[in-house]
Amino acid sequence: METTPELNLAMPNLAIRLHSERFDPIERLGVWHALLEQRAISTAAESLFIGRVRPSASDDGIALEALELEHYPGMTERQLEALARDCCQRHGVSSCLIEHRIGRVLPNEAIVLVATCADRRGPAQRCCQELLEALKHEAPFWKREWRADGSSRWLSGNTPL
Amino acid sequence: MADRSSLASAAIRLRLFAALREQAGWAERDWPGDPAAGPLTPRTIWMALGLEGSLDSVRVAINQQFASADTPLQPGDELAFLPPISGG
Repeated sequence: METTPELNLAMPNLAIRLHSERFDPIERLGVWHALLEQRAISTAAESLFIGRVRPSASDDGIALEALELEHYPGMTERQLEALARDCCQRHGVSSCLIEHRIGRVLPNEAIVLVATCADRRGPAQRCCQELLEALKHEAPFWKREWRADGSSRWLSGNTPL
Repeated sequence: MADRSSLASAAIRLRLFAALREQAGWAERDWPGDPAAGPLTPRTIWMALGLEGSLDSVRVAINQQFASADTPLQPGDELAFLPPISGG
């Protein structure tokens, strides 16, 4: 079940989507590229990041059964849009894609996909990295690690850059 | 005498997430907004709730936007206390 629309039309080339079930980031990139091509949007320089669930717990390395991602419905989408708009505007990026999982995510499944397109590699790369860090710290998501031994723990921050 | 709908609209809607929600044992509740009791802020409500931990380690959102803990609240506002964020 998808929880947000395919496209956020407030910014013509900004697409944000939350997935409550597994998604294939490469397939989603293909959909995004087709959309940009349809709109004759240049993808001369594109930067992307795919984040996946580690197979072990962040503190002691015990095998991980799953990662639970909670979010604040409504605020999350608004924050992602605001962060993307601000970042794209400052870097002169023409189009941006954010896809993010919520719910129970299994090891090696994708959590997040961020892609940015610009005329030059510099703006595309800088915007992609900055936007990823922004959403890690400024969008209301919370991770909980479920270990193979049945215990669980809410994470109180992000892994180091 | 105020009817139920006006009482409900005068309340502050509280929301907790993740570890804070589990610690408190509730996710949402209404907090009565009594104008005679003086201005309510996230800080005064946090102190009244008596949850463990400092407000310094928690972020505040009012009507789904980050806000200061000392922002005066208005009847009908949605106030959320957000534990440390860990997305992406």
